[in-house]
Amino acid sequence: MILAALVMNTQGKPRITKFYVPLGVEKQQEAIRTIYSALSQRPEDSCSFVETEDIFGPDTKLVYKHFATLYFIFVIDSSESELGMLDLIQVFVETLDRCFKNVCELDIVYNFNKVHTILDEIVMGGQVVETNSAEVLKAVQDIWKLERVGDLNVPSVRGIGSYRSKS
Amino acid sequence: MALSGMRGLSVFISDVRNCQNKEQERVRVDKELANIRTRFKNQRGLTAYEKKKYVWKMLYIYMLGYDVDFGHMETVALISAPKYAEKQVGYIVTSCLLNENHDFLRLVINTVRNDIIGRNETFQCLALTMVGNVGGREFSESLAPDVQKLLISNSCRPLVRKKAALCLLRLYRKNPDVVNVEGWSQQMVQLLDERDLGVLTAVMSLLVALVASNPDGYTNCLSKCVYILERLTKSQDILQEYTYYGIPSPWLQVKTMRVLQYFPVIEDSTIRKGLFDVLHRILVGTDVVKNVNKNNASHAVLFEAIALVMHLDADKDLMSQCVALLGKFVAVREPNIRYLGLENMTRMLLVADVSESIKKHQAHIITSLKDPDISIRRRSLDLLYGMCDISNAKDIVEELLQYLTTADFAIREELALKAAILAEKFAPNLAWYVEVILQLIEKAGDFVSDDIWYRVVQFVTNNDDLQAFAAAKAREYLDKPAVHETMVKVAGYLLGEYSHLLARRPGCSPKEVFHIVHDKFPTVTTPTKAILLSAYVKILMHTQPLDQELQVQVEEVFKRCENVVDAEVQQRAVEYITLSRKGSSMVDIMAEMPKFPERQSALIKKAEDTEGESTEMSATKLRQQQNSMALVVADPGPANGGLPPPSEQLALPEPPPPSVETAAIPKAYVNGTSSPHPSASTNGDLLGDLLAPLAIEAPPVTTPPPPPSQVDDPGDPLALALYDQQVNQIKPIGSIEDWFRALSLKDSGVLYEDPYIQIGIKSDWREAQAKVVLFLGNKHTASLVNVRVLILPAPHLKMQFSQVPDTIPPRAQVQVPVEVVCLSASRETAVLDFSYTTSTLPVSVKLRLPTLMNKFLQPAPISASDFVAHWRALVGPPTKLQDVVRGVRPMPVSDMGDLFNSLHIGVAPGLDPNVNNIVAATTFYSQAGATLCLVRVETDPSDRTQMRLTVASQDPNATYELKEFIKEQVIDIPVAPVPAPAPSPAAWGLTGPAAALVGLI
Repeated sequence: MILAALVMNTQGKPRITKFYVPLGVEKQQEAIRTIYSALSQRPEDSCSFVETEDIFGPDTKLVYKHFATLYFIFVIDSSESELGMLDLIQVFVETLDRCFKNVCELDIVYNFNKVHTILDEIVMGGQVVETNSAEVLKAVQDIWKLERVGDLNVPSVRGIGSYRSKS
Repeated sequence: MALSGMRGLSVFISDVRNCQNKEQERVRVDKELANIRTRFKNQRGLTAYEKKKYVWKMLYIYMLGYDVDFGHMETVALISAPKYAEKQVGYIVTSCLLNENHDFLRLVINTVRNDIIGRNETFQCLALTMVGNVGGREFSESLAPDVQKLLISNSCRPLVRKKAALCLLRLYRKNPDVVNVEGWSQQMVQLLDERDLGVLTAVMSLLVALVASNPDGYTNCLSKCVYILERLTKSQDILQEYTYYGIPSPWLQVKTMRVLQYFPVIEDSTIRKGLFDVLHRILVGTDVVKNVNKNNASHAVLFEAIALVMHLDADKDLMSQCVALLGKFVAVREPNIRYLGLENMTRMLLVADVSESIKKHQAHIITSLKDPDISIRRRSLDLLYGMCDISNAKDIVEELLQYLTTADFAIREELALKAAILAEKFAPNLAWYVEVILQLIEKAGDFVSDDIWYRVVQFVTNNDDLQAFAAAKAREYLDKPAVHETMVKVAGYLLGEYSHLLARRPGCSPKEVFHIVHDKFPTVTTPTKAILLSAYVKILMHTQPLDQELQVQVEEVFKRCENVVDAEVQQRAVEYITLSRKGSSMVDIMAEMPKFPERQSALIKKAEDTEGESTEMSATKLRQQQNSMALVVADPGPANGGLPPPSEQLALPEPPPPSVETAAIPKAYVNGTSSPHPSASTNGDLLGDLLAPLAIEAPPVTTPPPPPSQVDDPGDPLALALYDQQVNQIKPIGSIEDWFRALSLKDSGVLYEDPYIQIGIKSDWREAQAKVVLFLGNKHTASLVNVRVLILPAPHLKMQFSQVPDTIPPRAQVQVPVEVVCLSASRETAVLDFSYTTSTLPVSVKLRLPTLMNKFLQPAPISASDFVAHWRALVGPPTKLQDVVRGVRPMPVSDMGDLFNSLHIGVAPGLDPNVNNIVAATTFYSQAGATLCLVRVETDPSDRTQMRLTVASQDPNATYELKEFIKEQVIDIPVAPVPAPAPSPAAWGLTGPAAALVGLI
């Protein structure tokens, strides 16, 4: 199971946090800090896995990838394949890249709500929903279309009917 | 750059980003929270757009680490909004901010349900996602049937169905009853026919969870899983979008292989063969390529395949292919592959007998121990720890010690602990062990717990040859500039006891030893001071006649301690002053400590205990544990004879024979003090216990002396009493009956275990023949002598086994292969008559070997018509026998069927239309050939304690024996009382000192 999906920058600022196990806000921040301090000390050419028993309990580890100014991190337990998770991060990033055309940290900062939508199409309840980037993109774009329709029609009731018939 | 689409939100994010420091950020955030709070309070005039904006802002603030303790109601309320955009925000933010126990969630259950059963697919997706992320028990109870319907519906789009699958998984975790419905496993089989790989991946995740908790309930999914794997690896009709860097959905491949690891061993030979073909293809067909992502994906599949091979008990070929691959991986540069190579090699050690081939890679593994990456170092340490045995312990432990000096803090503790355990488990000789531990204390004293130095003391005390060596070493370490307190403790203790053995060496006169020890006195803590006081009085005592000058100095120290606040130190000081004035009679009181009785190392026990604590164990893990029980020590010495001479081994610590020397025991106990020592007496762990007889940690003494025994030597009543009790101590640690019963259904496990020896069994049954290997593992630190293994075969078995050496060296393991051939059917079992002598105590046990009739049976798949034909052909006795069996252990018919299957009597379900009956067929193999045996059981639903049993076969003897065998298995025999656990060793430590103390002071 995936216990958490996180995006943080190389200064340790969280950009997206999503926990699939209940964790209080204090604990979440503590986890983010511990993860950051573990990652920031890792030399280049290290492997992509860090054991995290002291944060998430036995048999858990984090799988991460470093892109420019960002770390993409999945915390997993032993029921997931480490390399599989690395692939999933790649899918996540490729999807972001397609959505935002050369995604950079600022895209994620200002569109954190959209990134949540994308993440929800890839991981749900700690399990992989979809691994096909094209499929994710399609689902996300449908949602955004609906959202815009909704926003344009804020005062009108007609809007609801119009997208309902579309779907 | 695209913006969030909400100006207010973007402005807020900008503001936060522009804050110079955390304080400014807090001010900005507080201002925003206050604003949102006010706006929410007065909802009038709040547009949907604004609500949405504020809720997003709340999520952003929450992510930054601020507690958002209001606005939950507004967030949840958005779920009920009619517009998609609001609903979506409501769902997403709810699943981030609230947990499953939040009261507000209950308020929206109805809305959520309406969204799920409604016809709007986008609403369905939102609702399923939220429930999948945070749904609790209440959601589970009210939504599960609807979610199930969506999953199996034909009209829903894949987008909805894959979410339904994962949502159901969440609901199942919260309440397993939701899928424990009749026919659900059949539904799963159908779902596995799904063509959409997205849905299939989600379904596979669901299946992993279902099989993990109920492996037998979903065996009908097995062949489908293998088929899916075949399809994927052959790239048959896989959509282009589902290939990831050219590899057909690696996630699905991995998940499918994961499911297969949760099933118990696959019996069906066609499925097995199909699966092995696939695995073989993966193992040989994966190449290293330039593209990192492609490499990752293909190796994800490859590593999963290796894990599956380990689980399947595959043939030697596949296994050695895996070892070869892993050997390649631990030597590559690419860190991810190397990390996983090390990790999987460690796992491999536990399931298969591959330690020899893994040892070839020792050099590479040690290189990884020095890798800059801590993750890799950890894996390497674990692997070295796992692969260590008596043959390479010296190299590995010395490597670990060397690394300890440069190792970073993060790994030192683990490193020190592992080095200590390995040194103890596999020491080629005791001097080496003592030296390793002293080095360990020097290099990482903070991480060397008291347990470890206690153990050193125990070994040194029990081995006369070691004492001078250990004292000299201790003396050397005290000369070093900075000495760790643990070193002061162990050195103080050893020099107190044994420095007189060094007296003639330069710098080792009693006075010099006293001074060098006493130099440390001002800087150590109180408990250490107490140890040092005992050391001083002993050093003094050994100068006979007493060295006047030293006596003055030592007494001065005692006098200064007479008024110390700490009761222990004070009491010792006062007592030792009095004792030191007793002149030569002090020698008796202060004599050397007696030998310790043999105990299991608490350190090793602790390490073993922590290994078995994982919660959701795959079948592989379970099996690893069973195997590791069967193999005490991974010492692959020549199976019989040819073992190294015992003198080279840890054979030294032999408790003295109960004669003259033991007279010292009662006296020696006196040099403790009588003050209660709560830490030792309340400490339940084995170490406190191990130390109990140590004077410095002696428990309170309250028991009266035992009655004198009728031994000639009246001065030695206690010694005998002690040894008498020790005889009683050698009891199996567990129930022989339970072990036997477990082995009657399994092929490997423990047959017998006591504090000194463990006998494990591994067996391989092929029709009428069997290869059984007995593993005799000496757990003790001394050799076991007079080892005698006799097998009393039953008349129906032909058994051959080779000679067993007379002596088993300490910590070593002897393998005894036994060939078994079954001549005819019988319920009898062979008996192992086993005896050995430890120190002075002979132990003899007779153990039934699990050479039961069922081991020579194999379930026979049979069609209804064949069964009936055979059944009819056999009419009445002696080829067909019928009995009414009473006193049957009451169990449901399905359980009885399981029991039959586990005995290799293959139940043929559905052959008998009456659900209360069982029909089964099995083939009995003996040297004479195979005999088909048919079994029919008719049970009485109103009285489960009786049944009618009919057995039929061509061979009257087999018929009779099988019938009797089945009866034995189903009849409720009152279980023999489990032998009481061996008395705690502490118990006898208590009796000793008391008597002696009363007598002498």
